[in-house]
Amino acid sequence: MMLTRRSFLGQSPLALLGAGLSTPFLITAAQAAPQAGDAPLKIRDLYDKGAVLSPRARALDGTRIAISGFMAPPLKADAAFFVLTKMPMATCPFCEPGVEWPDTILPVYSKRRVDVIPFNVPIEARGVLRLSEFIDPETGFWSIIRLEDARYARS
Amino acid sequence: MNKLFTASVLALATASTAFAQDLPQAGSTWFTDGQATIETMLAKQANTGRALNVILFVADGNGVASNYMNRMWAGQQEGGMGDDYVQPFEAFPELALVKTYNINAQTPDSAPTAGAMNTGVKQRFNLINLGENAVHDDCSTVAGNELTLFSELMTQAGKSVGAVTSARLTHATPAAVYAKTANRNWEDAVPEGCTAQKDIASQLVDAMKAGTLDVALGGGARYFVPEGTETPNGGQGGRADGVNLVEMAREAGIDIIADKAELDALDGSKPVLGLIADSHAAYEADRAETEPSLADMTKRAIELLSTNENGFYLEVESGRVDHANHATNAKRAMIDGKAFADAVAMADEMTDDADTLIIVTADHEHAIAMNGYCGRGTPIDGLCFDVAQTGILHTDEPVLAADGKPYTVVGYLNGASSVLVEQEDGTFAAPDGRPDLTQEQAQDIDYTQQVLIPKDSESHSGVDVALYAKGPWAHLFDGTVEQNYIFHVMDYAVNAGE
Repeated sequence: MMLTRRSFLGQSPLALLGAGLSTPFLITAAQAAPQAGDAPLKIRDLYDKGAVLSPRARALDGTRIAISGFMAPPLKADAAFFVLTKMPMATCPFCEPGVEWPDTILPVYSKRRVDVIPFNVPIEARGVLRLSEFIDPETGFWSIIRLEDARYARS
Repeated sequence: MNKLFTASVLALATASTAFAQDLPQAGSTWFTDGQATIETMLAKQANTGRALNVILFVADGNGVASNYMNRMWAGQQEGGMGDDYVQPFEAFPELALVKTYNINAQTPDSAPTAGAMNTGVKQRFNLINLGENAVHDDCSTVAGNELTLFSELMTQAGKSVGAVTSARLTHATPAAVYAKTANRNWEDAVPEGCTAQKDIASQLVDAMKAGTLDVALGGGARYFVPEGTETPNGGQGGRADGVNLVEMAREAGIDIIADKAELDALDGSKPVLGLIADSHAAYEADRAETEPSLADMTKRAIELLSTNENGFYLEVESGRVDHANHATNAKRAMIDGKAFADAVAMADEMTDDADTLIIVTADHEHAIAMNGYCGRGTPIDGLCFDVAQTGILHTDEPVLAADGKPYTVVGYLNGASSVLVEQEDGTFAAPDGRPDLTQEQAQDIDYTQQVLIPKDSESHSGVDVALYAKGPWAHLFDGTVEQNYIFHVMDYAVNAGE
């Protein structure tokens, strides 16, 4: 498995971040922040067409969110990291050369070692959305968006 | 006794014909529509002219059931009930069913199926355009087993050749237009020591340089660009051998384009390699406006190829119907199915039935089927609603299964969205039964259908696919045919039977 050379986005993560910074925010953090009783976000709320980060995602940077999806089979045993996918995915979306799902996932860093939930069971994750370039020192996984300090449970 | 029976049947038939207009149902629109169809069929005339152009449309994984789903979706998007909607190619005069199996596979894959259409012979699972003695993944069996392609024959005949796809240009279906490989996955590299063939991307550029491929539009840019080098659309190249095929193509006088604006701006004076995405193009549901649609690419390809007065051969693939079906994400499959139909309509509008043979088919079906019994107008992307006792439209009550839960119209037999969940002991079970489901959930763009058998990815099936055709010699498509027969009709049509 070659993780270090992979980003999870189809184009340069830096370019994507740059695109985001150059676009005026259309939604404020207060407007974008989830309210009590709101339905959890969906992964597609974080991206616009063309696999670029959405204004809503940028507005939510640094805030605690709830988001629904599925737990992809973990990349590494005993890690505090998994990938949230918008549809059930039975195999690691990044491990097969030539296959990319650039706008269908969100890396999740949990508080504790991940207790694996089968990939086809809907889950909800809660944590702090973070938009910045990050290389995971354990897996070499390169991301520009992720959920940190996260908890998760079957929805 | 036989004579008596025959006479009775004849008498009955005569009576039926004589008094058809007096039947109580004669005033029904169904009845008069049926009579009108008779007139249409009687008016059909075989076109035995020479085909100047041949366009082969392949919606990957769009068998009869998938096509039904697409028809329903397109019709319902226009406000109708869907069943009575006619997709552009469903109005074509000729129809056949196609058997899609491979030499060694009851359930086919997209490589040998596309190869069969492009060479006239069935091929082996996961190989492209090699003869029956070639072995999958064995480079040593390439030499001596290379088949001659329809694109090569058309080039010899002075025609231009194009390949358009919403998948990677190096993926199985478009690759069958120009490549010969012992493994469909050798898209940007071959195994060490393999010298009998090049990787598929290199073969594409070689074909363009040789003039056997003039227009190639699709995804897959990173297979043409080395690691560490930016692709034409801003992504990262993936070739480990350091070869920059994009630069090689440019130096050979081939125009490179990466988005819709560049596609539109082409002057058509050179061959064109369009790399509109690093991997596959986007699903139609997710496509940005800067990325050309399948219809956009089809239109431009026909405009470019039509400048050759000797005509052209163009293969157009909708690659992502297949991918969405593999994901058991029926909604994206049907949306891409509509994009495919739009591309066919575009080609039909731009060409003349008198000199252009248009074939619309699929390479294989999926493990997809429709549940019942649903009333008329039931949204094809949602739950099955009950048949109404009176009137036409479905009731507001979803049909419930024996477990008291509703279910979707579209179903798959296997896939990642199985209702069976892996338990801690490694067994698969559904202790709480299958999940309950609302219409809102079922119609969500990211919903994946409930399936039984758990698999990483939903599979193809060996079920027949339909083939629709119009233009010169299209009437040779009739009955149930073998997939490799498609090549023979194309070849016969361009030679007018000579």
